[in-house]
Amino acid sequence: MMGRTIFIDPGRCIGCQACVSACRECDSHRGKSMIHLDYTDEGQSVASLPTVCMHCEDPVAPCAEVCPADAILVTADGVVQQADTTRCIGCANCVNACPFGVPKIDLQAKLQMKCNLCYDRTAYGLAPMCATVCPTGALFYGTAEELQAERPGVQVADSFVFGESEVRTGVAMVVPADRVQWPVPGGLPVVEINGKDVRR
Amino acid sequence: MRAGGLVPRSVTGRATAAGVIVSLLLVVAIVLGSRFLEHFDSALLPYAVATVFLAFGVAYRYTVWVSAPGAKRLFKKGWGSLFSVDNFRRAPTALPKMIATYLGFQKFLGARSHARWAAHQLIFWGCILASLITFPLTWGWFTFTSGTGSGPGYEMRIWGFKIIGFDSLDFLGWLMFHGLDIAAVLVIPGTSYFLWRRMKDRGAVTGQRFGYDLVPLIALIVISVTGLLLTFSSIFLHGGGYEFLAILHMVAVVFTLIYIPFGKFFHIVQRPAAVGMQLFKYTGRQDDEVFSCRRCEEPIDTTPYVDNLRGTMRDLSLGFDEWAEYCPRCKRVLRGSAYLSQVKKGFK
Repeated sequence: MMGRTIFIDPGRCIGCQACVSACRECDSHRGKSMIHLDYTDEGQSVASLPTVCMHCEDPVAPCAEVCPADAILVTADGVVQQADTTRCIGCANCVNACPFGVPKIDLQAKLQMKCNLCYDRTAYGLAPMCATVCPTGALFYGTAEELQAERPGVQVADSFVFGESEVRTGVAMVVPADRVQWPVPGGLPVVEINGKDVRR
Repeated sequence: MRAGGLVPRSVTGRATAAGVIVSLLLVVAIVLGSRFLEHFDSALLPYAVATVFLAFGVAYRYTVWVSAPGAKRLFKKGWGSLFSVDNFRRAPTALPKMIATYLGFQKFLGARSHARWAAHQLIFWGCILASLITFPLTWGWFTFTSGTGSGPGYEMRIWGFKIIGFDSLDFLGWLMFHGLDIAAVLVIPGTSYFLWRRMKDRGAVTGQRFGYDLVPLIALIVISVTGLLLTFSSIFLHGGGYEFLAILHMVAVVFTLIYIPFGKFFHIVQRPAAVGMQLFKYTGRQDDEVFSCRRCEEPIDTTPYVDNLRGTMRDLSLGFDEWAEYCPRCKRVLRGSAYLSQVKKGFK
């Protein structure tokens, strides 16, 4: 986990889309929002989940590893950058390999785009746009200590499990205290699709 | 840092061998094409040597690049689609169309920004023109000879064979002798736009690196301006400062040629891979092999593409390749549901 990073607490998300609007204002992808806000059980529940790039550390950036054009740079501070515009060939390998479903692709422009932790801001010590505007603190930017000072008793996890594989990330999620020692489930293996049990 | 870590020794060995073979082939081609150096201009020797280094560097870097799992699989699929007789029979115009729209007119850049497209087209065609003139000239493949010694009648020869005769004082002659000036006039405005953008556009400024993003633009400007100044010197200054300018121009060109394989200009070598990728996907679509998300049933991509990606993920020991069968949105929703049911029930 990076020192100063984003902590996501889906329990606090009210689905207001302020983060989505603010993300469009980021200078490195002006007019296009890179954050995803999904309603996990639309029509049945108000639960919503904001997703930013998790800046995978181990394995380091699967999106960059599968890129056939070496277009995705991981800077020394652990931030997985957007695809280099001169190199990206728009193959969508990163889009479909990302375990968190983060990168977006513009098929006309043959260009991948993704959350780069608002590098134009965070490189200068400012919080990313999404965390700046989030009214409920579902997206918090700072260190784990700063988060815990503000929210006593809160624990964070930076490991996610996808089937047999574990992915450790630079961005973390807020979890109940008893879940800290366990990786957060990533959704794989899939147990249910559209109300149907798909376990074999 | 790019993901992937150090290059294995077996790959560097193969890459070195490829570099040596390609550069030796170029040396042989220079010797034969210049009729055993009879037409070779020794004043252009530094340029010719730089192109040999360029050949080595490009072959080396290309070999390392296509040895990485992602590129290796795409390389095989792309070339496989290109040489498929079946593909050619079914859609003979697909490849030329892709080459023209993608590599020539770079339509995708227009979708990113019209201004960037226009500037890149100026640089692209300027560099193509300059390369078509300078490379054969420095290799001794092109010669301009005059029966009278000083013109105005000239003959253009390639590999010693006469191609055309022209009068240096007419329009064709002017074009022939000012091709590089025309190239410079195309490159300067395009490069200036990109330099301006690198200083003013906050999106471009974010994360830019001097060596990677600015040096190539500065190099193109220096080459073009010193090239034009050579013409200016010979026409208006009676050759004043010509030798200094010639050396400055040569240094800039040699540096740029050697830089190509290791910096931003390597995209010139990489970009054709995009055509291979497009052709590979196009073939899958022609066969109606579309893979749909296992959850929402929205199309993800072609089935051969998804299989290829899963293979790449397995090559890289990314043990969640099964996940590639779900669209990005469903991955997020399934993760949210898992969090809701297994981590923090209060989330509901």
